[in-house]
Amino acid sequence: MKPLLDIRNLKKHFPVRGGFFRRVVGQLKAVDDVSFRIPRGQTFGLVGESGCGKSTLGRAILRLHEPTSGRVMLDGTDITALDRRELVAQRRNMQIIFQDPYASLSPRRTVMQTLLEPMEIHRIGTPDSRRRKVLELLDIVGMSSKILHRYPHEFSGGQRQRIGIARALTLDPKFIVADEAVSALDVSVQSQVLNLIARLQREMHLSFLFISHDLAVVQHISHQVGVMYLGKLVEIAPAIDLYRDPRHPYTRALLSAIPVPEPGRKSKRIILEGDVPSPLNPPSGCPFRTRCPEAMPVCAEQLPDLKAIHDGDDPHQVACHLY
Amino acid sequence: MTSPLLRVRDLVVEFSTERGLVRAIDGVSFDIMPGETLGLVGESGCGKSVTSLAILGLIPSPPGRIVSGSIQLQGRELTGLSEAEYRHIRGKEISMIFQEPMTAFNPVFSIATQMIDVLVRHQGMSRRQARNRAIEMLALVGIPAPEKRIDEYPHQMSGGMRQRVMIAMALSCNPKLLLADEPTTALDVTTQAQVLEQIVKLQEELGTSVVLVTHDLGVVAEACDRAVVMYAGRVAEEAPIRCLFEQPRHPYTEGLLKSIPRIREEKLPELPTIPGSVPDLLHLPPGCRFGDRCYKADEICHRREPRLELRSDIAVACHHPNTYAAPAPCPES
Amino acid sequence: METKERTSLWAKAWYKFRRDRIGMVSLGVVLLYLVIALGVWLGLWGQDWSSIEGPMWAPPGPEHWLGTNIIGQDIFERAIYSTRTAFDVGMVVAILSTLLGGLLGALSGYFANSWVDELILWLMGVLDAIPFYLFVAALAYALQGNPYAMHIAMIATFWTTTSRLVRGEVIKLKNFEFVEAARAIGLPQRLIIFRHITPNTFHILLVQATIVFVSAIKSEVILSFLGLGITHGVSWGLMIAESTQEVQAGHFSNFVTASTFLFVLVMAFNMFSDSLQDALDPKKVSA
Repeated sequence: MKPLLDIRNLKKHFPVRGGFFRRVVGQLKAVDDVSFRIPRGQTFGLVGESGCGKSTLGRAILRLHEPTSGRVMLDGTDITALDRRELVAQRRNMQIIFQDPYASLSPRRTVMQTLLEPMEIHRIGTPDSRRRKVLELLDIVGMSSKILHRYPHEFSGGQRQRIGIARALTLDPKFIVADEAVSALDVSVQSQVLNLIARLQREMHLSFLFISHDLAVVQHISHQVGVMYLGKLVEIAPAIDLYRDPRHPYTRALLSAIPVPEPGRKSKRIILEGDVPSPLNPPSGCPFRTRCPEAMPVCAEQLPDLKAIHDGDDPHQVACHLY
Repeated sequence: MTSPLLRVRDLVVEFSTERGLVRAIDGVSFDIMPGETLGLVGESGCGKSVTSLAILGLIPSPPGRIVSGSIQLQGRELTGLSEAEYRHIRGKEISMIFQEPMTAFNPVFSIATQMIDVLVRHQGMSRRQARNRAIEMLALVGIPAPEKRIDEYPHQMSGGMRQRVMIAMALSCNPKLLLADEPTTALDVTTQAQVLEQIVKLQEELGTSVVLVTHDLGVVAEACDRAVVMYAGRVAEEAPIRCLFEQPRHPYTEGLLKSIPRIREEKLPELPTIPGSVPDLLHLPPGCRFGDRCYKADEICHRREPRLELRSDIAVACHHPNTYAAPAPCPES
Repeated sequence: METKERTSLWAKAWYKFRRDRIGMVSLGVVLLYLVIALGVWLGLWGQDWSSIEGPMWAPPGPEHWLGTNIIGQDIFERAIYSTRTAFDVGMVVAILSTLLGGLLGALSGYFANSWVDELILWLMGVLDAIPFYLFVAALAYALQGNPYAMHIAMIATFWTTTSRLVRGEVIKLKNFEFVEAARAIGLPQRLIIFRHITPNTFHILLVQATIVFVSAIKSEVILSFLGLGITHGVSWGLMIAESTQEVQAGHFSNFVTASTFLFVLVMAFNMFSDSLQDALDPKKVSA
């Protein structure tokens, strides 16, 4: 089956300027040669620690950040090749849900204005049908229609996040990037919003790129999971495989580091030494080798390719010299 | 039974806001025993941070005010102390570490200067002695090459490194109590694991009592002996850690434990949730504060607010607490 | 679970402002002046400011409340009429320079580090580098006889502060996720700037407008005193200019009246502006 989203060798480098004339003195490789696919109606979980480039990747796919090179195919259309007008038209198909519910809604616009705006811009429907759509969406995300004329500051974090989700759905997109969409919420509300996203994904047959630093959250919602480190994907696998049989030493360390809410069950923890290297000055060879408990001489010389360790429809891929 | 190091009784703190008087914590009581790690858990707005600020005498006034209640450190009443008196206690007897280590340091001074100043002031050491002690502390929290790194500035260090320096600084005066407010929340998982490990290790070595304020039950399970679960300004439940996690009495604790996303063998079709959201402290429901969201709530819950009832070493504020046939393996603390 | 109040941010700010006693008193004083000015506009009072009605230097009395000046004009009448002049100058300058500053500030902030930004920054730098009174004098000379030379000079110089403030705020705002959301929807830049970003700088514009209003009134007094200001009508500045001869002769009424009218309005407006700033502070409002 053809994937809905096919990302090939995507790169996003930020020029670093320095010196008196603000000349480009280096490249910050926020996203460096990333390729993966998301099938229709599935969720791809993207995990990694802060600064690994996962948010930049999400924005580069939507061209909120202009990618440096590579291709993004959405349902057969090459997003990276579109001119400005075509891109605006394609925005109907791809949307984004943000992390910070306090910053993601325009503060002086009512819920109604916020939810109508996308349909007005894309000239979808009549004023009447737009209104009906807004009410329908509020119902879907579990909000009462009484809130239509309220302002964002009148809502709690969870409620705002629901409004943000409704906004992303107004254009009936095929693909949604959820960037740390539940990270800022309290535990009891977090699970409500997660269930909502999972339900939407099932019922509306949407594809999600679900970005999070929280491996447990990602497991619950994803079909496939990719682990990112210093701008590169180091492991991609079906969710079940990744959690049952993590292969990359970084994935293993990440998994073992999660505090488990079961007292007494001290997991055998792999404590990583040191910190993530600066992306401005990444190590030679494998980016993880400076902290890897299994580093070998070859790791410093050669960048390991992402390769499948077994075949199948959704292969388990690892970028490590151990395999 | 030993007497508690810190005793908090019926503490009430109010803040005047533009929308009216908010009772941020309303009758909070708990004890901290010498050498134990107590978790103070709850969601945003439950009053856990206000409680820790009150213990430190750092409630901003105005708009905040300790209305009633007492905080006793080894029998000495702390509420009502002057700022000057409190300054002798903070840093020396009670130390603190914060969520964002960058804001807790003064960016224009080196780590050495900041650590030495504290030691000279509180311990009366000479600067040379203080420097040696500071290097010793940095080594203890696992800073590589501490004699070099001590002369660095806060911005030259990574987040995890700064958090460790802060722990070293907080512990350098041998405080009796360490208050850690979300010490690992701003850190990445791998760094969080390092720092948490460090706190547990130091706590065991130095015998300091620790209050760990956090929203993360996973962190509590890993690091604490006992935990106080707070909800909307009140204590919902207090219990030794294994009892709390294996046999939660309060429906809120139960719901929280169920809804934490955790790595599971099998994927659940739906994550368990607690319906609704945390109440606005200005518009609390009548009766039990958790009543609107509780699956057990009945008529009495909506009428009368439950009191915190002590049963052996477990305290619950609920009209219908869960009961268990076989008691949980609660280790004597 | 849901908050009871259904309020916009403006309503919240007003609610907060109302509880600020100094703010309310100063607003009352400003409104009183405004009523006086409106009365003059509508021809209800202050119309006899130029007629010579009494002897020179008549003392205050029932006929002339505050006495008369060197040529026998009623000082109170002139001070009343000057209120209108002050509001004329203050409002024209405040509104136009705030609009200009807001617009250029928003553009330079949104397109920060592009040539648009560089151009606007350069223009601000140039205007700020010219001494104000020299600039007015040059402009008055260039626009020979134009009654609005002073207004134009003030607008041309006062917008830069507003523009800088707005630019900084816009740079901050454009990194907010709601701006990214607008881009993700496909909103044209024009709408992003004017529908989503600039409304969040209104608090700055409002406070800046009150500050510029006060500056304009004060500058008018000094410029009129120097002979570069008002050419038609009378203003507190012109009254103070006239009074120099009178003060030497020991008659203070003209000087004291004009200064007091000016002082009270400027004080009240400054306090109003401070309170407004507190009430509109988004950090405090949204909390």
